[in-house]
Amino acid sequence: MGFLVTTLIFFVAGVVAALSVRLCFNGGPSINLLRFTLVVTATVCCWMMWAIVYLAQLKPLIVPILSEGE
Amino acid sequence: MGDYHSRGGGRGHGCCPPMDLLRSEPMQLVQIIIPIESAHLTVSYLGDLGLLQFKDLNADKSPFQRTYANQIKRCGEMARKLRFFREQMTKAGISPSAMSLTQTHIDLDDLEIKLGELEAELIEVNTNSEKLQRTYNELLEYKLVLQKAGEFFYSVQSSAIAQQREIEAHQVFDGSLDSPLLLEQEILADPSKQVKLGFVSGLVPKEKSMAFERILFRATRGNMYLKQVAVDDPVTDPVSGEKVAKNVFVVFYSGERAKTKILKICEAFGANRYPLTEDVGKQMQMIDEVSGKISELKTTIDIGLIQRDNMLKNIGYQFEQWNQMVRREKSIYHTLNMLSLDVTKKCVVAEGWSPVFATNQVQDALKRATYDSNSQVGSIFQILHTKESPPTYFQTNKFTLAFQEIVDAYGVAKYQEANPGVYTIITFPFLFAVMFGDWGHGICLLLATLYFIFREKKLSSQKLGDITEMTFGGRYVLMMMAMFSIYTGLIYNEFFSVPFELFGKSAYACRDPSCRDATSEGLIKVRSTYPFGVDPKWHGSRSELPFLNSLKMKLSILLGVAQMNLGIVLSYFNAKFFRNNLNIWYQFVPQLIFLNSLFGYLSLLIIVKWCTGSKADLYHVMIYMFLSPTDDLGENQLFPGQKTLQLVLLLLALISVPWMLLPKPILLKKQHQERHQGQSYALLQNTEESLELEQDHSSHGHEEFEFSEVFVHQLIHTIEFVLGAVSNTASYLRLWALSLAHSELSSVFYEKVLLLAWGFNNIIILIVGIIVFIFATIGVLLVMETLSAFLHALRLHWVEFQNKFYEGDGYKFSPFSFALLGEDED
Repeated sequence: MGFLVTTLIFFVAGVVAALSVRLCFNGGPSINLLRFTLVVTATVCCWMMWAIVYLAQLKPLIVPILSEGE
Repeated sequence: MGDYHSRGGGRGHGCCPPMDLLRSEPMQLVQIIIPIESAHLTVSYLGDLGLLQFKDLNADKSPFQRTYANQIKRCGEMARKLRFFREQMTKAGISPSAMSLTQTHIDLDDLEIKLGELEAELIEVNTNSEKLQRTYNELLEYKLVLQKAGEFFYSVQSSAIAQQREIEAHQVFDGSLDSPLLLEQEILADPSKQVKLGFVSGLVPKEKSMAFERILFRATRGNMYLKQVAVDDPVTDPVSGEKVAKNVFVVFYSGERAKTKILKICEAFGANRYPLTEDVGKQMQMIDEVSGKISELKTTIDIGLIQRDNMLKNIGYQFEQWNQMVRREKSIYHTLNMLSLDVTKKCVVAEGWSPVFATNQVQDALKRATYDSNSQVGSIFQILHTKESPPTYFQTNKFTLAFQEIVDAYGVAKYQEANPGVYTIITFPFLFAVMFGDWGHGICLLLATLYFIFREKKLSSQKLGDITEMTFGGRYVLMMMAMFSIYTGLIYNEFFSVPFELFGKSAYACRDPSCRDATSEGLIKVRSTYPFGVDPKWHGSRSELPFLNSLKMKLSILLGVAQMNLGIVLSYFNAKFFRNNLNIWYQFVPQLIFLNSLFGYLSLLIIVKWCTGSKADLYHVMIYMFLSPTDDLGENQLFPGQKTLQLVLLLLALISVPWMLLPKPILLKKQHQERHQGQSYALLQNTEESLELEQDHSSHGHEEFEFSEVFVHQLIHTIEFVLGAVSNTASYLRLWALSLAHSELSSVFYEKVLLLAWGFNNIIILIVGIIVFIFATIGVLLVMETLSAFLHALRLHWVEFQNKFYEGDGYKFSPFSFALLGEDED
């Protein structure tokens, strides 16, 4: 799927989540900012984890060597 | 000098509105002057509001010197009476009914009188019923004696008489002094040789019966006849109230001396004596009489118990309300004791901390109290200016409360410094999940916490055990942890350690169709990278661990560097908020440069190596960057210009150390000198301000500045940061370690328990295997591993994240509030 495409998907998912939180749970501006921060942090954390695992498998230096009897 | 609530100045940076929970609420020190007639009501309304933390203005007085010590004693007495009622209710098995919503207003004095009356009544009823119970038990025993003794009385009596005649026969010859005179007289007087024997009948505890017999024998020199019959069921002893196994006994004796001895022995052994008549007819009559009395007494006792239970039930309806009221009053008087009484005794002065947003609410409460107490004068509300540090108050809801408590457990935030709790809400469950990653276990955890969340309302009003209480309190934390665990489980591709091909085809396949080299050379990458997570082909392969270890270690370093950078950036925002330019230029900037020129560079290298697939040895690169920076990189070159970049970064790191260390103390000294130039007459100016403020608040008017102290402080800070940069980064490797442990345990349980049981093809072994697997998973992986990962994620936050910016030396805002009155005040 490509690195960039999936990164874009994460970005869009983050935006969608932030908008839906804003629409469904609207409080004052200060609490909206807090919720926005939380959504952004969660998106960034999840994206980082995915990106690191993806990049590590792009050009692998070792390959799976199956064990006997599989 | 400035009042605290405007010190922060420009909220945010003008670009965005202030964020909830990031900084604690602005607080102000308020002084309220209350006329004495509305003092009680004012404090009561303020307690309902719960947004004012009173300062103790009488701190130097002992509890007995305070104004309202008497009222507190009265409340204490009432609380004691209520405790007594509660005890009685528990003994009778009545539980106090929940507080009714309609609360009738009760006056405290009336309540005191009522409680006193009820207590006296209850004590009386209790003593009466005790007496009745004792009489009842005695009558029961009497009945037993009548029944049992009556059976064997005549046979025993005749044997006793026969024995006595024998003894007398001897005695007439012996002429022993011990023969009772009365008996001789009898023998001489009564020619028909009717021997007159006295007897004692009663009950003796079975365990003492042998000793009883022996001592009777010895005391009367064998001059007695004892017959004991055991009673089948244990009898309730009237004195002790317990059920004891007893024997019915009848002892025949002759003479007064023997009688007194026997009576004394009966007393010593706790044997209860009951009179018997010799006449058979009379005995039957007695039994009937006693039975009648017993049933009468039983009804009386039952009625008494019902009456007492009714009384307790009535108390039970109002108990919670009374309890609540007494606690409320006690706390109001404690608070009133903290207020200082004006000399004229016409008003009290209260000082306290209150959030700025609550100003209107507080003034409202004061107005209402003035109106309700029909006072002529209203309370005066004024804001004081002080240099004291205000308490920290975060407005949390049920979701954010648990996370804020996690942060507070390490240290309460200093007034208005950046609250790590904001990021902890996401990063804490995330780091937990990195160590826990298994979506099967995550689902189990989620189901467990959803149970707690759906039954929230019911469980929050119940009294739970300690551990359940903690788990319930942390239910939202657990929910976040579970959700992130499902995510990381999908990434690590582990479902109870079993991988799935959920997101497309695996990238690896055999080199050739026959798969000859699969177990020696391995597979090769034929398709594009597996789109989401770890490729499923890795699981169970021989090179799984080298690959995963490398992946997870690098993951840990990258996440760690990211979180530490976040911490340093937060310190920038703190410095900006408190307008501390020194901290920005001479602490934030060198810290950022130092951390990123070393570990930020390492992260960059890791990413470049992954993207290019180079075989460079990163350990080698990093170490020789320090040892021989000018050497040629050779095959460890990842990108052109690397050597120059490394030299530049090394230089930057080296200059950032003295940059952190030296300028700040020097500039602080300069600042101090500028501020206190010509300040020798400053004290005179200060006296124009209200003196009473000076004596209440510890004012640091003339600060001492010790350069050596400041320098050493900065030195320690610098060393801590520099060494900490290495150690903290390495500390993040625990993310790798725990994740490895979890997946290995999970794998072992799956392979060595479940698969093994499956291999036997026996249904019983399979069932046993499944049960063992379930218990092992729950006990080890779901409980122990959760706690373990929780603890380590906590440590990473408390130490590695927070020591970049958090001071945490504030104190928590604890307002006077009835809602927060502790349950276990007794």
